[in-house]
Amino acid sequence: MGLFESKPAVKAGDMVYAWTTEDKIAQKAECGGAVTGLLKYALANKMVDAVLAVQKGQDIYDAVPTIVTDPNDLPGTAGSLHCGTLLLAKVVQKFQKGSPGKKLAVTVKGCDLMALHELAKRKGVNLSNLLLIGVNCGGTVSPVKARTMIRDVYQVDPNTVHKEEIDKGQFIIEYDGGHKGISIDELEDEGYGRRSNCRRCLYKVPRQADLACGNWGVIGDKAGKATFVEVCSDKGADLLQKAVKGGTVATAPADPKGIEIRKKVEGAMVKLGQKWRKKDFTSLKANLWNKIGEETSRCIKCYSCIENCPVCMPVSGNGTETKSLMVEQGALPPSPMFHMRRFAHISDSCVNCGQCEELCAMDIPLALFSHAIRSEADLAFEPKLGVSNYSN
Amino acid sequence: MKYVQTTCPYCGTGCSFNLVVDKGIVTGVAPYQRSPVNEGKLCPKGTYAHEFINSPDRLKKPLIKKDGKFVEASWDEALKLVAEKFKSYKPDECACLASARVSNEDNYAMMKFARGVLKTKHIDHCARLCHASTVAGLANIFGSGAMTNSIGDIAESKCVFIIGSNTFECHPLIGRRVMQAKAKGAKFIYADPRYTPTGKQADLYLQFRSGTDVALMNGMMQEIIKNGWENKEFIQNRCNGFDELKKEVMKDDYSLLNVSKITGVPADKIKTAAEWFAKSGASAILYSMGITQHTTGVDNVKSCGNLQMLTGNLGRPGTGVNALRGQNNVQGACDMGCLPVVYTAYQKVIDETAQKKFADGWKFPDGIAKGENGYEVTTLMNVLTEKPGEIKCLYIMGENPMISDPDLTHVEHALKTLDFLVVQDIFLNETTEFADVVLPAACYAEKDGTQTSTERRVQMWRKAQDPPGEAKGDWEIIASIAAKMGYGAQFPWKTSEDVFKEMATLTPSYGGMTYERLNRPEALHWPCPAQDHPGTPILHGEKFGMPDGKGLMTGIPFKWPQEVPDNDYPFVLTTGRSIWQWHTGTMTRRSASLEREEPTGWVEINTEDAKKLGIADKEKVKAKTRRGEITIPARVTPDIMPGVVFIPFHYVECAANVLTINALDPIAKIPESKACAVKIEKIAEAK
Repeated sequence: MGLFESKPAVKAGDMVYAWTTEDKIAQKAECGGAVTGLLKYALANKMVDAVLAVQKGQDIYDAVPTIVTDPNDLPGTAGSLHCGTLLLAKVVQKFQKGSPGKKLAVTVKGCDLMALHELAKRKGVNLSNLLLIGVNCGGTVSPVKARTMIRDVYQVDPNTVHKEEIDKGQFIIEYDGGHKGISIDELEDEGYGRRSNCRRCLYKVPRQADLACGNWGVIGDKAGKATFVEVCSDKGADLLQKAVKGGTVATAPADPKGIEIRKKVEGAMVKLGQKWRKKDFTSLKANLWNKIGEETSRCIKCYSCIENCPVCMPVSGNGTETKSLMVEQGALPPSPMFHMRRFAHISDSCVNCGQCEELCAMDIPLALFSHAIRSEADLAFEPKLGVSNYSN
Repeated sequence: MKYVQTTCPYCGTGCSFNLVVDKGIVTGVAPYQRSPVNEGKLCPKGTYAHEFINSPDRLKKPLIKKDGKFVEASWDEALKLVAEKFKSYKPDECACLASARVSNEDNYAMMKFARGVLKTKHIDHCARLCHASTVAGLANIFGSGAMTNSIGDIAESKCVFIIGSNTFECHPLIGRRVMQAKAKGAKFIYADPRYTPTGKQADLYLQFRSGTDVALMNGMMQEIIKNGWENKEFIQNRCNGFDELKKEVMKDDYSLLNVSKITGVPADKIKTAAEWFAKSGASAILYSMGITQHTTGVDNVKSCGNLQMLTGNLGRPGTGVNALRGQNNVQGACDMGCLPVVYTAYQKVIDETAQKKFADGWKFPDGIAKGENGYEVTTLMNVLTEKPGEIKCLYIMGENPMISDPDLTHVEHALKTLDFLVVQDIFLNETTEFADVVLPAACYAEKDGTQTSTERRVQMWRKAQDPPGEAKGDWEIIASIAAKMGYGAQFPWKTSEDVFKEMATLTPSYGGMTYERLNRPEALHWPCPAQDHPGTPILHGEKFGMPDGKGLMTGIPFKWPQEVPDNDYPFVLTTGRSIWQWHTGTMTRRSASLEREEPTGWVEINTEDAKKLGIADKEKVKAKTRRGEITIPARVTPDIMPGVVFIPFHYVECAANVLTINALDPIAKIPESKACAVKIEKIAEAK
């Protein structure tokens, strides 16, 4: 206990192992429960008015976004759900309206964070109102696909699985009667595994958050019992320092070997991401117009891409279709300009979050198209709203 | 902000989504990726399923008609009036229309009310207008009148044959499964007079005349038998009646040439369809109104059954007779016995054992309705006009026959003969115009309950907000009326779960279901007769539900629709739907995001036909049949078969059902909404 009295002030750039001192959180959490501990401190001490996090719904494949205002409800949000494919940044934009009057803490994956930054550039959200706890993410698996994968490839009844995780390149399940891990590479070669946009993603450690948390690089006697926290901003430093002082969270300096390991894992994941980008984008190269035409021919104008895209800002109220000269009201499949004008709208802000593609009623590979457009545009043109502080 | 997981109130696919609730009000829809049915995906109606909920038009108080005008009343006053009036009639002077939109609990309550309180034999609902042919037809040949397979396993089919369903617009997330099958190499055959968005994805498009389905399918079956492509083992082991079937379909009437003449489909396409279908190894038929809404609806359905029995495509993934039920809970409404011939789970009212089971289960001290079949709603409308005074009192829940039934002039005439009409709904509509009392009901977002999708999956509705004003849940209203009439003891329920529990004890196919078991994403497919039964995603795996376990093949002769084109009315009028609107539009026309896409109706007419008539696209024209006429904008397109025109039935300002014919299938009593004779005229320039 006396150790951190003599510690220097926490500052951006620090890397520590952190863990919750609260049993209730520790039991439910994975790897130390620091994220939940920090959120609890922030909420209990009114550093924020509410926390937007994810909790388990009906089972481990069901992730539900939740606004928590009572700190005692936070243990319910502990743990990780690799089938949580939802995007909290969209919840902030659409259902919290950018959270103008309320200070909100949000747990953010890389895609959430990138989306919030793009929104902020366009005045869609005020980042100074948000406390962002980043979580490492190697990719998520769509829940129903995960269940099919477990049934068909693992040959296990998905209803008997009580824990899943992604570790050391494997998707590992624990079920009544055992546990099984299969390499993600193998799964993905067979058409299972992570969402396709996740596979291309290069933004694994969300350093544009206030704190970047995860379990990579936690070695030694704290392995599995602590969270690796990289302090990324003064706001983050402030929170960590106060939470430690307040006794909610305890820390120890990160093992230098662990820091190396974390760097290696991150590097490996980025390399894997680049491999998928090459594969996905070069397969589009030759036949791009036809491919887009073919795929979008199935469109039923469900508007899910528009309604769920974190950087899509539709005009509110009636009128678009009656004024349009190129998109016919009600027609199915919609005129090509329906898609083209949306690609154009998001072309410099698509963060490859994959919501459009996962939620498209007709499985059109929309994220593939948009991500390709953004990636190429970033190479060829100056960004009109300034260079992004992330790369994807 | 709270997410409340629920199921969609629109079509029978049974998609799930979250209602987003802020400060006690529903503010939006968010995806529910965990659903095994739709995996977070939605069609535009689902995406905007929240928009009508808090419309200012929502009924908030009971209304009583006084001097021709509606006056707001208290529940006490309204219930008192309704109870008094209901008590004043003899049982069979009353009729009830249940609702394919409300929950199983609501429908069970209505059924119990009709038979136990009013003691009338007359109860029906709008399934009569859509899948009555399916319920009768498939029950006759398979012993079970429901979609045989599950939505998910359509994706495993090797050949999908869609006939009479514009799946992309009417069951979009089922359309997705067809596309998944196609992506895996399945062949897709599509039969429809219109080259719809669904048809445009087909490998083989059969443009055929509305009402010639039996000819087409008999023709395919002749081709199959001629070439020895039938599944002899399946026929031998699992079916009766092959000889009758063979005798009919081998007639020269169904040669490729003759069928081509009747249907308008080139002979070589019919042959290809037959070959692909028979040889694929796992062929699925998807059908909907194009098959059912005919005077030969039952024949059409049985023909689909014949085709599948002939080729052995039943009881396995990727096969089946997939009747796509329209409404969100039409399957449930039928399961709950809101039909004039059955109690729940299709237990026949004329069966003494069944009647005793319900009489004993319900414990009405003065008995229940006698065990006799009652009137279907289409018959009811005819009785009202032909024998006015026989039926004096009608209690309608969540239905709008003034837009949805055939020959609207006739419907209006029928409703006007009533002595007392009570309508229970969430909005005023064209039918409430004629009501004596209107009772304000809660919508799907405002109650707990269950509903049953087309794949027999029973799923939950969860309450997300309170109903507006003094509106109440449907079964609550029904129970209140019952109590006012002295039958409170028979309607003691405090929660929807109480209602479900009671229903399940009387309903073998739901017998093993509980809210606890249903409260998971996969829920349960019926039949689920016991607590440890896992439910039944695919029917007829080993046996059919017939007394000897075998499916019945039948010989079905082709018959033309009742009213075919002639010199006076030279076009076939077929009616149907648009993805943007739901049925009579009470919900979707109040949803801005949907209404703005298709704000009014149209008559689709082939480019060549339009040229001959001198009609331009978007020009307002007159559509006239022997029943009536409407003014409606033309939509000129090459995508509809010459000689056929199409009008969607959603729009009161150009109501298709003013034109349609009240011709009924003799067994199912379903109207022939898909075929009658019409003429299209330019409106004389009057300037």
